[in-house]
Amino acid sequence: MRRVDPVKAEVVARFLLATAEEMGATLMRTAFSPNIKERADCSTAIFDRAGQVIALAQRVPIHLGSMVGAVDEILKRYPESEIRPGDMFIANDPYNGGGTHLPDINVIAPVFMGRRIVAYVANIAHHADVGGMVPGSEAAVCQSIYQEGIRIPPVRILLRGKLNRDVSEVLLLNSRTPEERSGDLQAQFAANTVGTRGVLQLFRRYGVKETEANIAAYLDFTERRFRAAIGRLPRGTFEAEDFLDGNTEGSVARIGLRLTVGTGRLDFDFTGSDPQLLSARNIPYRALLATIYTVAKTLLDPEVPANAGYYRTLHVSAPPGSVVGPVPPAAIGCRSISASVLGDVIAQALSQAMPDKALAGCGPHHLYVLSGTDPRTGSYFVNYETLAGGYGARAGRDGVDGVRVHASGSSNLPVEALEHVYPFRIERYALREGSGGAGRYRGGAGVIRDYRVLADDIVVSLSSERQHVAAKGMAGGKDGATGAFVLNPGMPGERRLQSAAADVRLPRGSVLRIMTPAGGGYGPPEERDREAQERDLSEGRV
Amino acid sequence: MGTVCVGIDTGGTFTDLVAVEIGRGRYHYHKVPTTTDDPARGILDGVAELLDANGLARSDVGFLVLGTTLATNAVLEGKWARAGLITTEGFRDVLELARQRRPHYFNLDIPKPMPPAPRDCRLEVGGRIAHDGSEVAPLAEDGVRRAVEVLKSKKVEAVAICFLHAYANAAHEQQARALVKKHWPEVYLCTSGEVLAEFREFERFATAAVNASLMPVMDSYLERFERGIERLGIRRTPRVMQSNGGAVSPGAVRRLPVNTFFSGPAGGVIGSVGLGKQLRLPDLITFDMGGTSTDVCLVRGGDPAKKSERQIGGFPVRTRTLDIHTIGAGGGSIAWVDAGGLLKVGPQSAGAYPGPAAYGRGGTEPTVTDANVVLGRLNPRTLLGGRMAVHPDRARAAIAGLAGKLGVDAVKAAAGVIEIINVNMMGAVRVISVEQGEDPREFTLVAFGGAGPLHAADVARNMGMRRVLVPPRPGLLSAIGLLHADVRGDFSLTRLLRAEAASLEALNAGLDELKQRAGAWLDGEGETQVGHEWYADLRYFGQNSELILALNGGRLTGPALAKLVENFHRRHRTHYGYEMRGQPVEVVNVRLVVTARRRTPPPERAQLTRGDPRRALLEKRRVWFSGDGFVTVPVYDRERLPADCRVAGPAVIEQMDTTTVVPPGARVTNDRLGYLHMELARTAASGRTA
Repeated sequence: MRRVDPVKAEVVARFLLATAEEMGATLMRTAFSPNIKERADCSTAIFDRAGQVIALAQRVPIHLGSMVGAVDEILKRYPESEIRPGDMFIANDPYNGGGTHLPDINVIAPVFMGRRIVAYVANIAHHADVGGMVPGSEAAVCQSIYQEGIRIPPVRILLRGKLNRDVSEVLLLNSRTPEERSGDLQAQFAANTVGTRGVLQLFRRYGVKETEANIAAYLDFTERRFRAAIGRLPRGTFEAEDFLDGNTEGSVARIGLRLTVGTGRLDFDFTGSDPQLLSARNIPYRALLATIYTVAKTLLDPEVPANAGYYRTLHVSAPPGSVVGPVPPAAIGCRSISASVLGDVIAQALSQAMPDKALAGCGPHHLYVLSGTDPRTGSYFVNYETLAGGYGARAGRDGVDGVRVHASGSSNLPVEALEHVYPFRIERYALREGSGGAGRYRGGAGVIRDYRVLADDIVVSLSSERQHVAAKGMAGGKDGATGAFVLNPGMPGERRLQSAAADVRLPRGSVLRIMTPAGGGYGPPEERDREAQERDLSEGRV
Repeated sequence: MGTVCVGIDTGGTFTDLVAVEIGRGRYHYHKVPTTTDDPARGILDGVAELLDANGLARSDVGFLVLGTTLATNAVLEGKWARAGLITTEGFRDVLELARQRRPHYFNLDIPKPMPPAPRDCRLEVGGRIAHDGSEVAPLAEDGVRRAVEVLKSKKVEAVAICFLHAYANAAHEQQARALVKKHWPEVYLCTSGEVLAEFREFERFATAAVNASLMPVMDSYLERFERGIERLGIRRTPRVMQSNGGAVSPGAVRRLPVNTFFSGPAGGVIGSVGLGKQLRLPDLITFDMGGTSTDVCLVRGGDPAKKSERQIGGFPVRTRTLDIHTIGAGGGSIAWVDAGGLLKVGPQSAGAYPGPAAYGRGGTEPTVTDANVVLGRLNPRTLLGGRMAVHPDRARAAIAGLAGKLGVDAVKAAAGVIEIINVNMMGAVRVISVEQGEDPREFTLVAFGGAGPLHAADVARNMGMRRVLVPPRPGLLSAIGLLHADVRGDFSLTRLLRAEAASLEALNAGLDELKQRAGAWLDGEGETQVGHEWYADLRYFGQNSELILALNGGRLTGPALAKLVENFHRRHRTHYGYEMRGQPVEVVNVRLVVTARRRTPPPERAQLTRGDPRRALLEKRRVWFSGDGFVTVPVYDRERLPADCRVAGPAVIEQMDTTTVVPPGARVTNDRLGYLHMELARTAASGRTA
């Protein structure tokens, strides 16, 4: 252990975290797509010169992993001598660019002190469309990554502070909504500029050597803190499994996990998981890491700083070619829904090691992308939306109703904002009564939302998990309700749509209902507290 | 017109009162414990005592302003009323669905907040307004009547009526309001459009629901307060400070209690603005550090920064407030060591009881105050001008425990506590300055509250700021500030329209509507001499957050609109570093601020004579400074410091309600009015910050 002043290390870390927060605020204030500005589907981070995350402004936990990969991939390809002050890199490819799916575009800037790179600042933002076979560039039906949009390895989007049009023109031509892309990229550049300024201020104050020593020490402190948390678990091996939807409607694909609790380390072995799927449900490496980082932090030490220090205690092996270790050209667009099921597998294994904090299965969000022409303006739009499910119950607490689970975390689009910009009327937006798995502690309820179509050429693509495999109850608790997509509910011609579909036409006047899955319950339902039962009844929750 | 002004600042533990004799410029002070069972009672007793003790006639009181924390406490303690919600069919769960994020990304033990209207008291009625204000389906009046019956049976005390798109067309809400009033005249009632005529349903509904649930609590409190004031023989209607820094009638607060969450800290900010005017220091950062929390606010050109949304009890409350940033750290914050071996300070606080170990009231946890005692920065024998004994041995024991866990000596541990609380404070100052695109180095730090002057120099230096101002009575600035309040009302209305000529008619109709609402409000306040300020919130079409720009009057013309758009492009470049000339610009909200200015009371006449500061010397003491370690420094009695004298750091200046630490290299001037002006030496940190 280096002998570094623990006070100064804390000061340095707080300073960097404040800078990362400031970057996030800039990005959200200036972005154009509703995804970023309304739903906060973006993250910002600061890395040391070796590419380790040292400060992360948390908005969407899955970006924990996307952010890890970004700088690594640059360092692999570009010697430092080729990078100039004012350069910024852009990347999105999960196999070559450190990304987790194509709509998440990373923009990374080196921070120079004189001629030397001392750090990197980066931000990631979910762009509403990056091309590919379906509007929104994210649909479970994609069978290959080539169908999911433009793939960008780390390339320079800014050269010495000037836009590199050779790159930006290629990118914009590949999006269905180029103007929005251009505005969002501007916002991403602005965020990095703010970040660079903050980082430099710190390095100037303490000098390069001392700042770097303190950063290294802070990562060490974080690592030690998480080792202490692991030390409170019993040693041993714990097994868990759950299932994604498979290649055909109704079939399934297994995620299997052997978790070993060792001395100051956790080993996650996914041997025995099914082969990769011919759909976009595969979970690429960075998304796998992000989910493990998130669930481990959630259950072991929610307040541990989100940096590379605690990542060091978590070791992962996933068989190449499996759903959790896909190889090109496997499609991966819907990884955040599948990663929610993966999160349940990890939680199930950890719950055996820490039964008093146990967490039942969760209801992941559903994804749907509506596109078409708004008759009020005559312009083409792509509306990418997610609707939350509910958290699983815990040993001692009901699951949270109507929220994003595990590594996913973006917000909803307010109804009043939506109706202003897209030709729909939302006729219902409510908790799904009775959906949470019964138990001593009830699973979190899913959500229901109805879209009335007010235009003529609307199509939707649908992606989901847990329409066939319910979120598991635990310790005698019941499973959560499964989700569904329904066309024209309660009207003539009512029909249930497939759990994954592209280009479903929605005629004017029709209603699309989204019902999201709920969390599983914990403990036998008959042991539920009387008062809680009465409240469930009087408030109409069951 | 009365000749005496009274300011009442209700704090968590104590209420500070100040009375000013306008003609003579004489100030009188009083402090009473804040009573919790009947908060109005302690205040009324205090007012009577303050006036009587100083021979002031009650009938001479011409202006009385109350700063209250009632709304904040009601939320913190869950003492708000159970409310009912009448809402659009299909949307009763908006308050629970919120923005579909979990309360904390990683900590699952933090539950979603409980809405003030529980689910069985949220009732849906048919009827629908579209985004453009057109009616899709008429209001189902029988649904409203049924809802009233159910809510009566549920015994709710207040009702919020919240319909979709009510900001675009309030007709359904008004229709429902009239029906509820007719069938249930005694219930407390508000509509979402009255409380906040802006779009985004969750934020608007939440603001309205929080408002409704506070109405009964605020009403009964103000009822007792007003009647009590009347009974005292004070004939002028009292005023209540709002979060926007303006004081209004109790009637306005009863309708919109949601406007008072920052009533307390607003006094300190307005007080700083007042002293800034007097001293010709228009650019200030206020730094109010107390025992458990610290409030900071940025004032530019004499104008405090404003904000439109705050989180209250887990819900977004959108009202115009001073942009006061509060962090849960102060002199009582407890230091501890986390599992990784890092030193942390707060957010736990030792509070007033048991308080820091040094107070000898049984506290054993190491606090910021204890670290200050160990380092000689606070007097190791007595505080409060000798009225309170200090126990340095207990402070040392508490800090020694901490030092043991860190593996360092006690001085290093205490110094660490100070460094970390200072960096927390620096974070708070960053939020209101750097993050808003303001460079703190251009501002003067105004230090007040019990602990502000103790830490101000370090915080200023961390931020590269060079000037610190310590007012004569740092503990009473908030109460004095209340007397500087104008009457002020903020009105806003969402009109999502392209900023182009075709929208002029609709925009002007919106401005007219604001003027009408403000006019009705002013009638209620009894004010006629007022200033109007008009604003519009603009953004690039497709963006999500807006910049607020001033309008030149309440009527837009083609050229005025073009100029507004041009100003927006420029402001966007200044704020974010780029502009997008090809992108259409959109108006989101129009705003109106009406202000009735008041003559502010004269400054307190200090009776300072010139002379040598050495006559104020109390002792020499070893005091620790960041970067220098222990230095033996002179300690001065502020009450005896002569006018226009200079003191060079390192030094310590003590007074009844606070202690000012002057680090090496800093210079302090005590001016004729008794303000301490501290100039800090330039340091490495004064490099570029923004």
